[in-house]
Amino acid sequence: MIHSEALSRYYGNTPAVRDLSFHVKRGEVMGLLGPNGAGKSTTMRMLTCYLPPSSGTATIDGISLDDDSVTIRRRIGYLPENAPSYNDMYVTSYLQFTGRMHRMPTATLNDRIGEMGQVCGLTTVMHRRISELSKGFKQRVGLAAAILHDPECLILDEPTTGLDPNQIVEIRQLIRDLGKKKTVLLSSHVLSEVEVVCDRVMIIDKGQLVGLGTSSELANRLQGGSRVDVVIRGDAETLLKMLEKTLPDVEGEVLDVAGRDVTDSSRLRLRYTSSGTALAEAAFHAAVACGCTLLEMRREQASLEDVFHRLTQDDRT
Amino acid sequence: MRPVFALIWKEWRIAVDTPLGYVITVAFLLASGFFFGDRLFLTGQAEMRSFFSILPVLLMFFIPAVSMRALAEEKRGGTFELLATLPVSTMQIIAGKYVAVLLQMTVLLGFTLLYPLTLATLGNIDGGQIAASYLAAWLLIAVYVAACIFASSLTNNAVVAYVLGFSMLLAVFLLAQAAPLLSPAMQNFLYVISPLAHYQSMLRGVVYMEDVVLLLSLCWVFLVAAHFQLERRRWM
Repeated sequence: MIHSEALSRYYGNTPAVRDLSFHVKRGEVMGLLGPNGAGKSTTMRMLTCYLPPSSGTATIDGISLDDDSVTIRRRIGYLPENAPSYNDMYVTSYLQFTGRMHRMPTATLNDRIGEMGQVCGLTTVMHRRISELSKGFKQRVGLAAAILHDPECLILDEPTTGLDPNQIVEIRQLIRDLGKKKTVLLSSHVLSEVEVVCDRVMIIDKGQLVGLGTSSELANRLQGGSRVDVVIRGDAETLLKMLEKTLPDVEGEVLDVAGRDVTDSSRLRLRYTSSGTALAEAAFHAAVACGCTLLEMRREQASLEDVFHRLTQDDRT
Repeated sequence: MRPVFALIWKEWRIAVDTPLGYVITVAFLLASGFFFGDRLFLTGQAEMRSFFSILPVLLMFFIPAVSMRALAEEKRGGTFELLATLPVSTMQIIAGKYVAVLLQMTVLLGFTLLYPLTLATLGNIDGGQIAASYLAAWLLIAVYVAACIFASSLTNNAVVAYVLGFSMLLAVFLLAQAAPLLSPAMQNFLYVISPLAHYQSMLRGVVYMEDVVLLLSLCWVFLVAAHFQLERRRWM
């Protein structure tokens, strides 16, 4: 659906996006992740034909950006950062305006506006002025305007910034529902959001692609092994020595004394080169062998957060 | 064409739904009514010459106020990005904005038709001359609006857009005032490019094609300049 090839954009001599190539399949929710100023908005502006790329190209639904930008703009729904809309307008008039700009026939338009009111939860505010609405409602108005003409492809620039936790949950649910039928490219710097909402994630830093895949793929690639956290009653060092007999490469790290209720416990973080359950099993047997009581054991997955920090901070430190 | 109408409709809705339009209308009618009535009772003649000679000064204050928000506000609020990613061309955006503001000013000018109608009941008016003067006024408005739309495209602050637009119109006015002091060559040049010169020539009641064409060309120049200004982001 969205296919980008070596997309680059320079502001003067400063590169904002460099050689960005990726592919978003039809019906997929792709997350675009990066620190502030990484080039997320610039990428989206190029895909929505707001800014032309300095070099490279992209196609949406098989149409190239430089061939027929008006047709592309008809097929995408775009929610720019901070969901701008006309504060002086009423919600219905604003949606009518957007529909007319998309050349929607009046009859279908009115039906669609009613429908969008339902889908985006706007029915109670339809006849309110946009300036009177809360941030969450404004965001939903922006989203309603973006999906009003039933586009194949949605491009959403940080759709949940500035919302309270309840609103975030609602908007995410809405995006997930939309993602069942449509192709969605969504940018964010909230990692948990991307992890929950998106099928695949693409991480960019300083305008360049640094990682692409599902969040677990990215995590595995980064982790390249397994990690187990254990809490034991007994001496951590003894356990570690015992464990090293079975798994010579194991790395152990004693963390802070854990638990308020159990004073003589220690918390250990164990790392081992291969993935799978080997480490957890060995840790269990070692604990039994040295007479430690196992209070807690947790196999840790590297989170997207770890991946993100690793990928975007490597060259900075 | 439909998106252009949609834009005009949107601007009209905002103008009708917010107080600014009403405030400007009332202020304009108060000012124009004062200048119309002031001389009328002094001279006791059924003509509108004084009204039309003061009109450019009134327009100098009011047109920048009506057009200042046109593009500046869109850029400031980020809605320009929305507009530009809808399936419309930049020229259509400018056309919509321009016609919308021109429409508001036309309505404003339409209200002043009450003055000749009042005059007609009091004495014999020269209908042809007044009609030509209205055409001239409307064309002058068209040029001023185009200039102020251009001013609005230069900035993302409506107040700055007002000051810029006002300064441009003031420069036109002052140049026209200073014309007699200039060299004949400069005077001729000024006569060609100054919208006020063409306006004043039409006030005599004679509509020359060259005046109309020149005024329309000036509109075109400003609108193309505004288009250029909006497209500039692409090359930055």
